[in-house]
Amino acid sequence: MTEKRAALAKAVMERALRSGADQAEVFLQVGRSADVRVRDGEIEDLTQATSKGLGLRVFVKNRLGFVWTSDFSESALDAIVSRAVSLAEVSADNPDNGLPDPTSLGKLPDVGPLFDQRVADLPPDWKIKASIEMEKVIKSFDPRIKTIDSVGAGESVSEVYLASSAGMHGSYEGTSVYLYASPVATDGTQLQTSYWYDAKRFFEDLLSPEEVAKKAAARAVRLLGAKKIKTQKLPVVFDPTMAAGFVSSIAGAMNGDAVFKRASFLASKLGQKIAPDHFTLVDDGLWARGLATSPFDGEGVPTRTTPLVEKGVLKAFLYDSFTARKAKTKTTGNASRGYRSLPGIGVNNLTLTPGTKSPEEILKEIPRGLYVTAMLGHGANTITGDYSRGANGLLIENGELTQAVQEVTVGGNLNDMLMQLDAIGNDLHFHGATGASTIRFKELTVSGE
Amino acid sequence: MSTQPLLSIPLCERLLSAAMERGADFAEVYVERNEFTAVTLEEDKVKSAQNGLSQGVGVRVISGPRVGYAYSDDLDDEALFRAARTAAFIANGGGSEKAYGVSRVAQSDRYALATHLADVQVAKKRDLLLRANSTARAYDPRVKQVMCTWADSTKRILIANTRGLLAEDTQDMCRISTMVVVEGANDERRTGSYGGGGRVAFEHFDTFTPERVATEAARQAISCLGAEEAEAGQQTVVLAPGWSGILLHEAVGHGLEADFIRKGTSLFAGKLGQKVASDLVTVIDDGTIPNARGSLNIDDEGHAGEHKVLIENGELKGYMFDSLNADLMGQRTTGSGRRESFKHLPMPRMTNTYLAPGRDTPDDIVKSVDKGIYCANFGGGQVDITNGNFVFEVSEAYALEGGKLGRPLKGVTLIGVGPEALKNVTRVGNDPRHDPGMGTCGKDGQSVPVGVGLPTLRIDNMTVGGTKVRR
Repeated sequence: MTEKRAALAKAVMERALRSGADQAEVFLQVGRSADVRVRDGEIEDLTQATSKGLGLRVFVKNRLGFVWTSDFSESALDAIVSRAVSLAEVSADNPDNGLPDPTSLGKLPDVGPLFDQRVADLPPDWKIKASIEMEKVIKSFDPRIKTIDSVGAGESVSEVYLASSAGMHGSYEGTSVYLYASPVATDGTQLQTSYWYDAKRFFEDLLSPEEVAKKAAARAVRLLGAKKIKTQKLPVVFDPTMAAGFVSSIAGAMNGDAVFKRASFLASKLGQKIAPDHFTLVDDGLWARGLATSPFDGEGVPTRTTPLVEKGVLKAFLYDSFTARKAKTKTTGNASRGYRSLPGIGVNNLTLTPGTKSPEEILKEIPRGLYVTAMLGHGANTITGDYSRGANGLLIENGELTQAVQEVTVGGNLNDMLMQLDAIGNDLHFHGATGASTIRFKELTVSGE
Repeated sequence: MSTQPLLSIPLCERLLSAAMERGADFAEVYVERNEFTAVTLEEDKVKSAQNGLSQGVGVRVISGPRVGYAYSDDLDDEALFRAARTAAFIANGGGSEKAYGVSRVAQSDRYALATHLADVQVAKKRDLLLRANSTARAYDPRVKQVMCTWADSTKRILIANTRGLLAEDTQDMCRISTMVVVEGANDERRTGSYGGGGRVAFEHFDTFTPERVATEAARQAISCLGAEEAEAGQQTVVLAPGWSGILLHEAVGHGLEADFIRKGTSLFAGKLGQKVASDLVTVIDDGTIPNARGSLNIDDEGHAGEHKVLIENGELKGYMFDSLNADLMGQRTTGSGRRESFKHLPMPRMTNTYLAPGRDTPDDIVKSVDKGIYCANFGGGQVDITNGNFVFEVSEAYALEGGKLGRPLKGVTLIGVGPEALKNVTRVGNDPRHDPGMGTCGKDGQSVPVGVGLPTLRIDNMTVGGTKVRR
């Protein structure tokens, strides 16, 4: 099948060239996935799917046209090729348009294995058993857990093929397998929920169902009795999952397109100190067995490791080839996409380099503060740097986690927050493809009563 | 646009038989074909024109509380019957070969268009963006970036099930939007965005013009220059009419969806007939509004969209049901079963959710506040269904002092617990307004178009997240 699909991608690309495109590129994806959720020891739902699609990008005299389809029939492919060329007439003549320059293509990195045969062969039974086990562990964890929003497991297998008239032809195949659980705890007056999940490319890297279940249950139960606290300035600690969200927001401001449009609070800070010395942030497209690891990006450019912040100094922004040409720089291999979308700039395995302190040591040093384990809202504005998000978690008193807290917001400005980041833990955890540890901010505004 | 059925009716019936071969209670075939067009403009140039086609079939089988689902984007017989048998896997009774017949039911037409959006020339869509761009650029020299997008889709669906239902619909939808970045003194950047559309004909934009869209986006951004830090803590807030209805959608709407109620994970579970909001609050979810973004002739299970009173004068009256949760709870569906595409299972969702008008004039409401915040525009919002906590980013806010609008404020978020906030509603305006048609709601990874609406509203004791601590 592999050769047949590579040949199809190439054939559609060549057909576009014959139909009047100066440059053409086909990004083709094929996949299958399965997911199971259970309730009360039985299957709640079981979903299985196969999917496929291709996106065709053409340039006609520096004008861009893009079409995608999940229909691979001869007539559908004929239609999309001519439509792509005619759509290009509607867009602007832009000299920065085009496929990657030959100099940015070239030898692909050895990223190691991305495909696990064991995941590809997982029987539905495994998912059902693992989910039922998680449900049992959660229900016996604490009598205050009365229901579960969802608990389940799944896997997917995906193949990517790229054929580009810039001279790039490539493909890769990957797997992923995951477990998730979101229990609900109640003390009679309040309901609280939390979740945990683990997703890996390889079966042997996956946490056990028991570990995922216990983690999810403990996080829900400890939020019971949550109260609002007074509006005040406090030291604030983010657990590793919240820290992952924070560094993702920061990386959003390093998107070369936002920087070029001056729509980033970091636009003018290249080479400047934006965080303390212990802050190092890397976009690692080559992280071994990483969920976002691949040999090439969405337009066939080799993937790499890009240090974004080194010892607190802003070192680089992220680019695809179009934005790189506009900004007169080079692509960093960060064109991210699915077959239904044009390449856009995105991170691979974004990783905050861990520090040396344990999370306990970080908490110990705080007489009074807030430990955040869940956030609500999208209030991290990477254009203005304004940051204000709803937060749930626990109060820190004399270095210990005490009273649960809800209905407060944590606010500040991303510039200040970065400078306020006075501790990074040694507990690196990958939340999906983003890796981060416990982090502490010296002082942020906590809004409540 | 072809008017042939998406899949032949006899084939649908044979698929239903195959899906029932292990003795399930119910089976359904959902067929979809969706054609998308999008145009984007930035940096004074039309960046891209795009077109996409997605088609596929999802087969759902229900056996007791168990659901089996399989989908395929291959439409050949082999792939379709494989999907039907895969979905049937969850049933374990002994089956026998049985035939299922389906027939069409009458349905309303709330958004029939003479010309489908997929059939309107792309160049006409592009021209709207060119007009929006020049309007925004000309609005003020401090406008530095203008990004405009057009997106439309023409979706055809067909649903057949073992209860004999056969339903089809064509759902057009479009939206124009403009985002503006302005730069003031000292590198200060502010943004504004506006847009709208719905299940409307292309001629809608003769009156909802790109000039109007661009002017509003630019006005918002320029108005926010020089914004001051907002004071954190409890305050009285006044919400502007229209899009502010997103607050209602998040703060109570999601918690009234039947899946959360059945699982006992919503704080509104078991509260039917109880007081959950101030007497002034009546909340309606209405899938029947002509041409609105959230309206449905049929939901994605083939049932008619309905007008539903969820909360009446503060009392909880009803929940929103899809057929699965309705069956399991001994209720009837409210036509609220929706899904993003054939790749997803349906679940109870909102359509157009709004708060019924009250008696006060908007002016009187503003004048009634001695000290507080006027929330003119909202960014996004999110809710934790279980504990009821919600959060909203207020993208355009002004200080309210002595009954008058004052300086713009930045970094304002509203946070609260759904029912508590609704109990603190003290004034409701007589100026009902629906949003211009730009809402998309996300739940469990599925996005569906929705409408929201609200008259001017005063809420007391709302927690305002800001950056300035009161001294």
